[in-house]
Amino acid sequence: MENGRIAIPSMETGGLDGQRAGHFGHCDVFTLIDVEDGQIKNVATVPNQEHVQGGCMVPVNLLAGHKVNAIVVGGIGMRPLMGFRQVGIEVYYDVTRPVIRPVVEDLIAGKLPLIGNNQVCGGGGGS
Amino acid sequence: MLKLLLVVANKEDYSGFATELVKQKDVDLLWADSGEKALDMVSAGPVDLVITDEKLIDMNGLEFALRLLSVNPMVNCSAVSSLDAKEFHDKSEGLGLMSQLPPRPGAGDALELLAKLKKLKNLTECSALNSK
Repeated sequence: MENGRIAIPSMETGGLDGQRAGHFGHCDVFTLIDVEDGQIKNVATVPNQEHVQGGCMVPVNLLAGHKVNAIVVGGIGMRPLMGFRQVGIEVYYDVTRPVIRPVVEDLIAGKLPLIGNNQVCGGGGGS
Repeated sequence: MLKLLLVVANKEDYSGFATELVKQKDVDLLWADSGEKALDMVSAGPVDLVITDEKLIDMNGLEFALRLLSVNPMVNCSAVSSLDAKEFHDKSEGLGLMSQLPPRPGAGDALELLAKLKKLKNLTECSALNSK
């Protein structure tokens, strides 16, 4: 990624050296990383909203409103995946690393895969 | 106005449920008797909530919910199911369903469903506002 805004579902206060949250709908905050010319230019956080059953589109709308271009998840359900795609946010996948910084660096370097439909949580998809 | 689409093969099973919904001044209730027809209706224009029966004439309710995601993932969906809560959760995981309804839902289920929908719409609108 040369330019854009990356969102990482994060635990507690987030930040580049913070920990990722495994379940994006239940994360405490989203760490937002602005990338310009392939370099990290700014890091901010946005609090997540209350999570209720069926509320998959709440974080989708929140991140779309913050003009996010890409998100990295460790797991996601089919509905929020389709929602992110509908609003033009690319969903990348890393299930192994708990720390935010190396995942962001790999996304910028083009080393992270987009999530596939067969990698969603559950039979149809877990928001 | 909340636009609700009830997708059921047998309207009689939903008489009490539907009667309560149409009593509400802020509800516009639409009906479809098959999954395909309901998907066409959602394609033609957004609705706030689709409620699907457990078995439709052309597909089952969870299959319908999955197909609905391809048409418009922003549309909320609740499904009638006779499964116990855990089994329903396991089978519907990822579909982002708003709730499970019991077979032959009644007036109380309708009111509970509307309360959930209004809370969810409020959260969704707040998330959009908070990002501006």
